[in-house]
Amino acid sequence: MRTIQPHLQAIAYASIAALALLALLSSHWWAGELAGQMQFDARLLPPSTAHWLGTDALGRELWARTLAGLGLSFWVGCLAALLGTAIALSLAILAMLSPRLDALVQLLIDTLLSVPHLILLLLIAFALGGGLHAVIIAVATTHWPSLARVLRAELLQLRQAPYIGISRALGKSQGFIVLHHFLPHALPHCLVGALLLFPHAILHEAALTFLGVGLSPSQPAIGILLADAMRYLSGGYWWLGVFPGLGLLLMVLSIERTATLLRRALSP
Amino acid sequence: MRKSTYSAILLGALLSSLMMSTASAKEQLVLAIGGEPEQGFDPLLGWGQYGNPLFQSTLLTRGTNLSLQPELATAWSLSADRLTWTITLRDDARFSDGSALTAEDVAFTFNKAAQSGGRADLSALKTAAAIDDHTVTLTLHKPRITFIDQLLTLGIVPHAERENGYTDNYGRHPVGSGPYQLVEWQEGEQLIVERNPYFYGQAPAFAQLVFLFTSEDTTLSAAHAGGVDIAALPPALAANLPSHMQPVVMQSVDNRGIMFPMQPANGDRAPSGALIGNNVTADLAIRQAVNLALDRQTLVDVALHGYGRPAFGPADGLPWSHTDEHIDAPDLDQAADILEAAGWQRRDDGLRYKDDQPARFHLTYPSSDSTRQLLAEVSTEMVRPLGIQMQPTGRSWDEIQRQALHQDAVVMGFGSQSPQEVYYLYHSQHAGNGFYNSGYYANATVDNHLEAAQTAASAEQANHHWQAAQWDGETGYGFRGDVSWAWMVNLSHVYAADKCLDVGELGVAPHGHGWPVTANLLDWRWTCD
Repeated sequence: MRTIQPHLQAIAYASIAALALLALLSSHWWAGELAGQMQFDARLLPPSTAHWLGTDALGRELWARTLAGLGLSFWVGCLAALLGTAIALSLAILAMLSPRLDALVQLLIDTLLSVPHLILLLLIAFALGGGLHAVIIAVATTHWPSLARVLRAELLQLRQAPYIGISRALGKSQGFIVLHHFLPHALPHCLVGALLLFPHAILHEAALTFLGVGLSPSQPAIGILLADAMRYLSGGYWWLGVFPGLGLLLMVLSIERTATLLRRALSP
Repeated sequence: MRKSTYSAILLGALLSSLMMSTASAKEQLVLAIGGEPEQGFDPLLGWGQYGNPLFQSTLLTRGTNLSLQPELATAWSLSADRLTWTITLRDDARFSDGSALTAEDVAFTFNKAAQSGGRADLSALKTAAAIDDHTVTLTLHKPRITFIDQLLTLGIVPHAERENGYTDNYGRHPVGSGPYQLVEWQEGEQLIVERNPYFYGQAPAFAQLVFLFTSEDTTLSAAHAGGVDIAALPPALAANLPSHMQPVVMQSVDNRGIMFPMQPANGDRAPSGALIGNNVTADLAIRQAVNLALDRQTLVDVALHGYGRPAFGPADGLPWSHTDEHIDAPDLDQAADILEAAGWQRRDDGLRYKDDQPARFHLTYPSSDSTRQLLAEVSTEMVRPLGIQMQPTGRSWDEIQRQALHQDAVVMGFGSQSPQEVYYLYHSQHAGNGFYNSGYYANATVDNHLEAAQTAASAEQANHHWQAAQWDGETGYGFRGDVSWAWMVNLSHVYAADKCLDVGELGVAPHGHGWPVTANLLDWRWTCD
């Protein structure tokens, strides 16, 4: 019973997250145009039946912009998480190939973990000149070490397993062992790792964009919406910040919760 | 009993301290108008070019109608060959250390400023020389009518070879003959100044001024708490003022417009390495169409929340600008006809093309400037129905200079009380000179008009030439001619001022929200008891 409950919870959370994601992914088609549509006679209106979440300074519907922003954040999060996971997996496998490479990978991991990642994140995004690619690269290159450390430990254990020894004794190549033994064993960990990295990536994208080294102010990213809201907050236009902030919080929480439950469910 | 006595004494002390602070508040004015100068308060490096140098005096000042008024100079004249200015100084001017201000100091200031390469443009100055204690001559390399601007904006500093004289650190410890002297400057936080006891003019109404350098939000919070007497405000927040404050609106020639790259892209690069040219904006028809499509009043209403007026040129309403340079209303039909005639045909994707070149270009703006972002986004919407796609792109100033300045249309802002700016913006000699003429505009006829203006015998004569540069009946930089810009709006500068503060009659502000409002600081009064 105790083992089934987390599975059910995970399925429930995953279903909610999947539904939300489906809505976000399709938002480009049903809210994308509206997110950019200006109504100059309906600027800075509070939430009402006509404007569900209110309008911004250019009379654009905030619900459409929030959805478009979350959709954009989702893609950024996806790409950054995938890239980060790929880096972690590649380095973990590389560490298995020779003790020297292992020492090098460990050194890299320790070095990166010793630097506050937010500072590094800002520096990389700034050096790359901002924009979508800069955010994705900055998040990915600063968030792989923890996952790489876990994967390396898993693969080290695996390397001692009898069937790997048998495989070697049978004359199988390194490539064969990596492809047929290491990768299948590491992939479930990668899936959970990527899912846990995902909300981080989204939050960092929003933070970098808010600080002005992320996406262009003309894109309806959540960080941009929040930065815009800051300018008008003193004027009492609370809805500009509350709804994008809530949307971001809900998305990140649901994904993080799903990932945590999935990790528990996959753990023996 | 004893407890109540103590309470009464405590309350009395508190009330008296409050009363004292209220009384001293009349003597002290707190301003949160921004504009902290990075280089300090050194006129030779640009301090005072916009607004009031506060610590220093200038030779002349402008009246509210831009007329010339005496300040340190009691008389001034230009020689017949227009090469020598002779200035007679007042004899009662003293620096804040009590020493007399003489012609030597004026000559030193001009000569040193010419070498310093600051914001003050003294390239025309050959030499400045003191004839006697109260007479100075300024000799020019060649006639330049706009040289008089330096008499209006350059604050006089003490000669380097005197006690408390000018040093490299002058910007941090300014000594001048202006109405106030510096007490303390905590960079990034506040500046405290007090009356200069040796000021030759009428003593300012406020003994002490405190300038706060705070963010917009902090400023507004401080204003609500009653901690600020006058604060610069973004127009969006002008509707939510605390009850003890009222909006003060200062008209300006602080403009915003779209600067078009005028040359086709052929791989040329500026000395900075940035690419020059844009094949779409180099086409006259595109520039004309954008100008005709812009609904400037809507831009004012949306991007400036009504605090501004439509702009049609770099110096609307000033004597050196044509009075009939305006568009009554946006005309999309005429714009479409112009595009058709020039060969820009609409295709299925809604865009116009000419020889497979889509009518698409970046409209770059500094991402830190929300007003320019709004202007870029709204103008993009206005132009879209024509089949022209402007792509609003926010970049840092550094990126703009490295990449966009000469190949993208850029939302820029200028605005000066001097026609010199027109010369910089449109003379081919200034192509690629920083932000001036960054679109590499070049028209030999316009250059000739601008040169003629500079060598004119009087400001009135010069104005005819400045206007001819805008449109002489055949060509010009304005929208009847080469349309090198699409000017959009002139901003009004909005301040929240305590209802007890009378700021008098404000003039017309140049580019820059903040210091220009202090130009008539000596007229400010506190009207409550």
